[in-house]
Amino acid sequence: MTSICLYFEVHQPMRLNHFSVFNIGANNDRSSDYFNNKLNQEIFEKVAKKCYLPTNKILLDLINKYDGKFRVSFSLTGTFIEYCELFMPEVLDSFKDLFDTGAVDLIQETYYHSLSSMYEDLDEFEKQIKMHRKKIKRIFNYNPKIFRNTETIYDNRIARKITELGYKGIITEGADKILGGRSPNYLYKPVNTDIKVLLRNYKLSDDIGFRFSTQNWSEFPLTADKYAKWISRCEGDIINLFIDYETFGEHQWIETGIFEFLGHLPGEVLKHNHLDFVTVSEAVKRYNPIGEIDAPWAISWADEDRNVSTWLGNDMQIACFNELKNIGRKLMEGGNERLLITWRRLQTSDHLYYCSTKGLADGDVHAYFSPYENPYEGFMNYMNILQDLKQRAVL
Amino acid sequence: MRIAMIGWEYPPFKAGGLATHCYGLTRSLADKNVKVYFFMPKTKHTAISDQPNLVIKEVGETEIFPYDRPEDKALAGNFFEAVHRYNQLVVAKVKSVVQAEGKFDFIHAHDWLTMEAATILKEDMGIPMILTIHSTEYDRSGWLNPNQWFIDIERKGMEQADRIIAVSHFTKRVIVEKYGINPDIISVVHNAVYPIPEGKKQKIVLFLGRLTIQKGAEFFLKAARKVLDYEPDVRFVVAGIGDMLPCLIDQALDLGISNRVIFTGRLTEDEVKHIYGISSVYIMPSVSEPFGITALEAISAGTPTIASKTAGVCETFSNCLKVDFWDSDEIASKIISLLRYESLRKTLTENGKQEIELFTWDNVAGKTLDVYNGIDTARLNKQLKEREKIYKWNQKLAANSFESAITLKTKKVRKSKSYRRLYR
Repeated sequence: MTSICLYFEVHQPMRLNHFSVFNIGANNDRSSDYFNNKLNQEIFEKVAKKCYLPTNKILLDLINKYDGKFRVSFSLTGTFIEYCELFMPEVLDSFKDLFDTGAVDLIQETYYHSLSSMYEDLDEFEKQIKMHRKKIKRIFNYNPKIFRNTETIYDNRIARKITELGYKGIITEGADKILGGRSPNYLYKPVNTDIKVLLRNYKLSDDIGFRFSTQNWSEFPLTADKYAKWISRCEGDIINLFIDYETFGEHQWIETGIFEFLGHLPGEVLKHNHLDFVTVSEAVKRYNPIGEIDAPWAISWADEDRNVSTWLGNDMQIACFNELKNIGRKLMEGGNERLLITWRRLQTSDHLYYCSTKGLADGDVHAYFSPYENPYEGFMNYMNILQDLKQRAVL
Repeated sequence: MRIAMIGWEYPPFKAGGLATHCYGLTRSLADKNVKVYFFMPKTKHTAISDQPNLVIKEVGETEIFPYDRPEDKALAGNFFEAVHRYNQLVVAKVKSVVQAEGKFDFIHAHDWLTMEAATILKEDMGIPMILTIHSTEYDRSGWLNPNQWFIDIERKGMEQADRIIAVSHFTKRVIVEKYGINPDIISVVHNAVYPIPEGKKQKIVLFLGRLTIQKGAEFFLKAARKVLDYEPDVRFVVAGIGDMLPCLIDQALDLGISNRVIFTGRLTEDEVKHIYGISSVYIMPSVSEPFGITALEAISAGTPTIASKTAGVCETFSNCLKVDFWDSDEIASKIISLLRYESLRKTLTENGKQEIELFTWDNVAGKTLDVYNGIDTARLNKQLKEREKIYKWNQKLAANSFESAITLKTKKVRKSKSYRRLYR
């Protein structure tokens, strides 16, 4: 038997207002001015209509149609849930409906989709996980068993911390540098602690996430039966397909046929008797690790490098990251709750992602996701805001 | 391949990017085994070539300054007379070179000032003509009061050219939309730079260029005013000369920043390199900028650059900051950001220098060669032969008074394909 573990990451960042150096310290009460609520609402509503609502409906129908044999998992970030509550509660309701089928599992992550796992001490990381746990508990009355860090950033230290926090499994990238030629289609355990590691099959995942509508791809067009055949020929216990949820209808537009693909996928997969679907929790219950992985340096699912250089790859990003940490130390002393929330919202990894200069010339993946004209604009805006927050943290 | 290139400025005599371009292009073409004769007016500073493939021919004493915009009619008369005389001298010189050393494969002219000579040579000798457009009258006038005289000359030249090279897509668009030229004959070849060494950086914000309406120095001063409120120990340098210098000095006085602004006047080549090297920020707030080589020069000297969004260089270069030229608040905000955030400076400088390496004159020469090679000389020669044939027919016909023969031959000629192609 080979199981397919489909997991979708659902996230929206809080994009920032234009903030010039002249705004720094210009007003002592402008925390709400950091975030561009109008733009955020617009984008959220657009993506909800193009992706969240229609895809949720398709998934619900599929779960009902296959009587629970089709199973998926989700991770909803804290900022995403806040947007649902603020702008479109019906989106959250549709996720609740999915969860109520019993065929859907939820995954834990940091509330703010942050890089707090990269700080020198992991206190803030732990706090943000607990915030997320509280939020999921309140809305879904459920405690996730599996953890997934921001952009699947993973190293031995993070694995140990997550084990300590009592999780049964942790998700990361099936990167070649930790697998060393081994297959991602099994569970592994970290060298330094006892937890099950689910590794993303990046080839099969990216076939849907990135290549689906690439016309010069030799496999274009990708159909559900072809894809199911590929999976059926895979060796291993478990095929982890971890995909950004916005792939459906947003990154891959409806015109590409992505919804038809999704609609036909369970049927095509279940035609093969040796294939079934599992959620992430079921995967760690059913299978056992076949080997150890060692990640002394952080890996992630981003770009070709599959490390953290996407967020911490240039001097601007490191300067912002250090500034964030400094401000945090100051705020912890002061204990101003409102500023702490603002600070945490600014920790969302997207803000650093926008400052990435990787392949500026050919980095159209980065450009596609950024609200800025270029990384320098992203940096100046973000850094100006951090400077303003820093001044207020001292007051 | 032998090229007759006609220009009007060449280092050490230099008024703008055209001189830099001609210098880089001719030398790199010569390196590629192209024999280049560069024709230019005689100036106080003799231009010299150390390459056997590159011959510089100075013709006559006229020192023309094409960025002068004569308002006075009498002055304008002299100005145009000087341009005309220069072009006539070039024609004579090229012809004498042809007589002594053989024919050229192409004539390559730069901007409106050299168009007359190129057009005459094309007509008289049947040599294909290439025209590089570095700027148009619309750019030089800042799109405010373009002078129809110049526009007409430019259009006529463009219409005569077999191929046009534009220094940016921006300029190509102007040539198509404002001059009505067929886009298929226009190739875009972006400029390049000979890197300038980085110096010991000081808190200097630099403007360098002609002080004309086109270059937007007044926005630089407005931004300076705003920056000084926040960063009082910065110095602002305005390097260059031009008809707006007195206004700009007045403006600096009015803004109360004359003690922080230095007007350098005309700088020598070494002084230019020095000031690029020691500046911390370079600003190019051009109202209309076909390319903007100075931005590449500054970046090559490790100076982070803020350039006008519409500048040609911005369509091809990633690692610089881009602004609306009129938005002096935004320019000021970016200057302050650059002064305050070392990481921003460092990232821009490092990535900028890396990207600069792609902008070589060797590349420009390669692309220019592609344009030369793309011209269907065979087709053009055929056209020329046909034209000669018809010319001879007409001569014969004029000489022959025998009426029936005339009608007969005229009919024959009119039926011929070549006649129809040329005179339909």
